[in-house]
Amino acid sequence: MYSDQHLRVSDAEREAVSGRLAEHFAAGRLDQAEFDDRVGRAMTAKTRADLRGLFADLSETGAPAVPELPRGGGSTPGGGPRGPGSPIEFRLDTASGVPTYLQLVHQVEHALRLGYLKPGDQLPKVRDVVASLAINPNTVLKAYKELETKGLTAGRPGQGTFIQAGLSQVALPELAGLRKALLGWLTTAGAAGLDEDGMVALFTSALRDFHERRGGSRTRGGAASAETEGVA
Amino acid sequence: MNMNVIEASGLGKRYGSTWALRECSLAVPAGHVAALVGPNGAGKTTLLNLAVGLAEPTAGRVTVLGGRPAGSPAALDGIAFVAQDTPLYKNLSGGDMLHLTANLNRGFDQPYARARLAELGIPPKRKAGKLSGGQQAQLALTLALARRPRLLVLDEPMAMLDPLARHDFMASVLTAAAEDGVSVVLSSHVLAELERVADYLILLSRGRVQVAGDVEDLLATHRMLTGPAAEADRYTGRPVVHARRAEVQAHLLVRAAADDPVPPRWEAHPVGLEELAMAYLREPDAAALPGPARGRNPEPTEATR
Repeated sequence: MYSDQHLRVSDAEREAVSGRLAEHFAAGRLDQAEFDDRVGRAMTAKTRADLRGLFADLSETGAPAVPELPRGGGSTPGGGPRGPGSPIEFRLDTASGVPTYLQLVHQVEHALRLGYLKPGDQLPKVRDVVASLAINPNTVLKAYKELETKGLTAGRPGQGTFIQAGLSQVALPELAGLRKALLGWLTTAGAAGLDEDGMVALFTSALRDFHERRGGSRTRGGAASAETEGVA
Repeated sequence: MNMNVIEASGLGKRYGSTWALRECSLAVPAGHVAALVGPNGAGKTTLLNLAVGLAEPTAGRVTVLGGRPAGSPAALDGIAFVAQDTPLYKNLSGGDMLHLTANLNRGFDQPYARARLAELGIPPKRKAGKLSGGQQAQLALTLALARRPRLLVLDEPMAMLDPLARHDFMASVLTAAAEDGVSVVLSSHVLAELERVADYLILLSRGRVQVAGDVEDLLATHRMLTGPAAEADRYTGRPVVHARRAEVQAHLLVRAAADDPVPPRWEAHPVGLEELAMAYLREPDAAALPGPARGRNPEPTEATR
């Protein structure tokens, strides 16, 4: 959030800034010519620095303080602006025990399943994720690489990472069969004297084994340091 | 880029008759956020002071940024250092300090520094001593980053900060790493918050390097085994770093890969950075020095008990 001066601004931000200039105009801090001039500059502004410059000589009383410049629509506590380009925002569950990069991967998959993300949508930029979550850039790169390996996203040089494909759900008839099989298992487990917590514990443990067996080969960090060079 | 941002061989520092750091050999590769961890008095500050050229080694040598001798002009140009408690001139304002730092340093990016202070909402005219702890830390960080370093060295940067200020401070550091490719070495003893931040771990204990390596590699080669205490002593499958046991159940931190077979009646769990570091800190004789310090025995010493 601290060096976002060079970030390019959206139309929504330009309009919000014009609205704030209008408030200064209404309060008498700007005369008509100055107001027109500044709105003109706001509408042609390219970067946040351009927009901030418009408030350099305006008092902060009576109007929202300058640091409250619209931040791409998302409030990111303690962190950076969300890239105006991405429809989603990551969060972290520190108590879950799930590795950070996997949490990011899961959230993208989840957003795909629920339709928050569609092919063509952009994922948040690496620097924005880093700024808002305070996590290691290599972790974000690793998550994005994993998504790319899964064929869900594709990187466009100089632009960012974009959703490439939807997540194909298991076909519905199969889902019904699986559900029936699981219910059968639950009945057996219940008959054997297992309570619900016991079933959850057993299922979680089996799922972990399954996960480890299937995805045991984790990509090593050796390549990660080389990737950092490509971030800037 | 395959250079090492810090490389030490046989490095030692003695104050009077006490070795603050001893036989320290390590190589921290570029492009990482490396955490230097260890109990108080382990030699963290000594190692960092040697690396940035604020102290002279008693033995051995240390180079930075691909072989530049620590403290040489070439080394100093590429390093920025924020010492413990983020020292600032308390009676100078942020603006004064920018001016001063710009005049004392080559290649100080004044516009960047000013823009950054404005972003942070730090009033340039207010005396540093009147700023909040978080703002003071951010001011010190701004002065460091405006030198546009290749390596940023931070000694206990967050010790005095509240949780929100810690988060914002680390976000700033990591953004610099992401945007400009700055390598970072930071010391801390708050293990929990390093978990998401660091991807390289250096664990110092009693003046020696105990663990050094890529965090992912370290986590991939360690597991926690949980099983019957009666069998814990007879477990010899893999090197045991640390054992915790009760009457019936025991937990063993072992060096073993994820696909390593688990003995019958035992259950294996992956470990986190904090758990791993704690286990080694409790067993100062155990060591894990993959890769870097090749001069030493790469196999871990088996823990006692």
